[in-house]
Amino acid sequence: MKPVRRALAELQESVRIALGALVGNRLRSALTTLGIVIGVTTVIAIVAIIQGLNRSFEQQVQVLGTNTLYVDKWKYLNLEGDWWIYRNRQPIGVRELKAILRESQVAVAAAPSAWIRARVDRLDKELTSVSVNGTSGDYLAANGGGVREGRFLVESDVDLARPSVVLGYDIADQLFPGQPAPAVVGQKVLVAGHPFSVVGLLERRGKFLGQSLDNLVLIPYTTFQRYFGARRSISIAVAAPPGRLGELEDELTSILRRVRRVPPGKPDDFTLNKQDQLLKVYQGLTTALYGVVLGVGLITLVVGGIGIMNIMMVSVHERTREIGVRRALGARRSTILAQFLVESAVVAALGGAIGTALGLGTAQLIALASPLAAAVTWQAVALGLGFSAATGLIFGSWPAWRAANLDPVEALRYE
Amino acid sequence: MTPDGALLSLDGITRLYQVGSEVVRALDGVSFDVQRGEWLAVVGQSGSGKSTLMNIIGCLDTPSGGVYRVNGHDVRGLADDALADLRNHEIGFVFQTFQLLPRSTALANVELPLIYRGLPRRERRLRAEAALRSVGLADRMHHRPNELSGGQRQRVAIARALVGEPSLLLADEPTGNLDSATGEEIIRLFGELHARGHTLLLVTHEPRLAARCPRAIRLMDGRIVADGPGREVAAFGTAPVVTA
Repeated sequence: MKPVRRALAELQESVRIALGALVGNRLRSALTTLGIVIGVTTVIAIVAIIQGLNRSFEQQVQVLGTNTLYVDKWKYLNLEGDWWIYRNRQPIGVRELKAILRESQVAVAAAPSAWIRARVDRLDKELTSVSVNGTSGDYLAANGGGVREGRFLVESDVDLARPSVVLGYDIADQLFPGQPAPAVVGQKVLVAGHPFSVVGLLERRGKFLGQSLDNLVLIPYTTFQRYFGARRSISIAVAAPPGRLGELEDELTSILRRVRRVPPGKPDDFTLNKQDQLLKVYQGLTTALYGVVLGVGLITLVVGGIGIMNIMMVSVHERTREIGVRRALGARRSTILAQFLVESAVVAALGGAIGTALGLGTAQLIALASPLAAAVTWQAVALGLGFSAATGLIFGSWPAWRAANLDPVEALRYE
Repeated sequence: MTPDGALLSLDGITRLYQVGSEVVRALDGVSFDVQRGEWLAVVGQSGSGKSTLMNIIGCLDTPSGGVYRVNGHDVRGLADDALADLRNHEIGFVFQTFQLLPRSTALANVELPLIYRGLPRRERRLRAEAALRSVGLADRMHHRPNELSGGQRQRVAIARALVGEPSLLLADEPTGNLDSATGEEIIRLFGELHARGHTLLLVTHEPRLAARCPRAIRLMDGRIVADGPGREVAAFGTAPVVTA
C-alpha cells in the first residue's frame, strides 16, 4: 500500500505545484497555452462541422429512399478514372424499362428518368436552368415525395405523350407567385418553348447537399422523348419492398443482362446505383478531409508543444534550487520527473480544454451563420483533451528528464 | 546499529573531483564518528572541504573512497532512489538561505518530507503541526514564507528538518543569513533540540558558532586538523587537539 499511497500523495502534490505555478505566472502560462488553444480550437471546430455535415448527409440520404436501385449507364461518383468503360456502353432506354415492368417479381415500382436542363416560362416569368424530368406514374413510388394539389402523371399521359406537367414546389412558387394552389392546376406554361398544361403540384422536399429538390418539373417520358430526343440514356429508379434490395439487385441484373444480350462471363454493361454508394463516396471524402485536419492539427500541436517545452525548460532552470531542496528532502528522480510532467500536461490539457470550448463555440457560430451544420460529439471533445495532454507529456518529457537528472549538490549550489 | 553504536561513522573518506585535467582531492582521508545525541560543528575556511563533507554526510553525494555508514547503512553502491529514501528517513537538512517553497504555507513546507515518505494526509498534517509548535510557530502555520521574518523562516526550515524524525539534523551555515540577535535565537533553539536528545551537525565557517558546540571538527585542505571541544577548536591556531 505504501508505494501506492506515496505515488498518490506525490501526484496530488505535483498537481498542486502545477496549478500554483500556473497561477503564479499567469501571463506566461496564458501565452504558453495559446499555441495549444489555437490548434485545438481549429481542429475541434472543423471536426464538429465535418461531423455535422456527415449527420445531415445521412439524414438526407434517408429522405431520398434507401430501398431504391437506379439502373444507369454511369456509376455514381466514379472516381476511378475508367470513365471510358461507361462511355462506350449502350444507352439505357425504354426497352429496359419495359422489360423490368414486365418481368420483375420483386419491384414495387419502376420509373424512368430522362433529364435535361431547360427554360420554363409563363407570361413574363422566365426560369432558366430548370431540371426537366421525363418520367412515369411510378415516379413518386420509386423516388418518394407526394402531390399537394391536382394529380400526378398517369398512364394515359405517358401512352399518349400528352403535354402534361407536374411542377416542383419552387417552380410553382416562382411562376405563380401569390396564387392559391388549386388555381394553378389547369394553367399553361412553356417548357423549352413547348406549351404544357399543369396537372399537379408537388409537396416541398427540401434540399440535398445544398441543392434544392423542388426546382424541377416532371413530364411524361414519352413527351420528353418527342421534344428532347429518344436516344439519350435514361435512368430507371426501381423500388424494392423493405429489406429486399439485394434480391431486387440480383433479379434486375439477370433481366438486364438478358435484355441487353450480355454474353455469359462478360461484365455487366449497366450499373445498379444505390444511395448508400453516395454515402460511401462522401464518407471517403470526409475521411480524407479528416486526415488533412488531423495533419494541420498535429502541426499546430507540435508548434504549441515546442512552446510548452520552451517554457518548461525555463521553469526547470528557474527552479533548480527548488529541485535541489526537494531532492535533499527525499524526492526521488521519478518524483521530480512526474512533477514536471504533470505540470506540462496540466498546462497543455488546460489549453486543450479552452481550445475545445472555443472550437465548439466557433462551430456553433459557423452553423448559425451559414448552411453548414455542426455536431458536438464526445469523440471530438476526447480528441481535443487527449491530444493536448499527450502533447504536454511528450514535449514536457525532455525538460522533466533534465530536471530529474540534476545533481542535487549542483542544484542546491545553483545561484 | 554499528558495533560501536555510533550514529555516523566515517572511515578514510576521500572525495576526488576532476577539474579539467587535474584531480582535486576535496576530502583526503577523513575519519570520525558521531554518537547519538551529539552536537558538533564542522568548521573550516572556504575550500577546506567542509561543503563536500556535508554533502557526503547528507547522502547527497557519495565518497570516492572510504566507508561511510549512517545509522548502520553503508552508503557505498546505493542506487539513487535508495539514497533519496535514506535522506528522507535519516537526515534533516537546514540551509543557510532557508530554501522554503515560496508559494506554500509554513505547514505545506513542513509536510513536504512526509509526502515523499508516503504518509497519509491526516498524519502529515498532525506531525507538521507538532513540528511547527516545537519550534515556537504554532501561530504562523498558515503563513507563506514572505509573510515571515528571517528567524521565523529558519524555524520553519528547522521544523521541516525535524518533522520526519531523522537521525541527524544537518545544518549548513544556519545563522549565515540572520542578524546576530536572530542568529542567537536560532542557536538557542539548537541548544534546546540538543537537550531534547537530537543529534545535530552544523557546518560553518564562523568560529563563534563552533565555540557554542560541545564538539567541533576543523577541516583544512580536506583533512581534519582538529577535533575536540568547540571552544578549543574554534580558537584558531591555539593548541588544536589533533586526531590520530
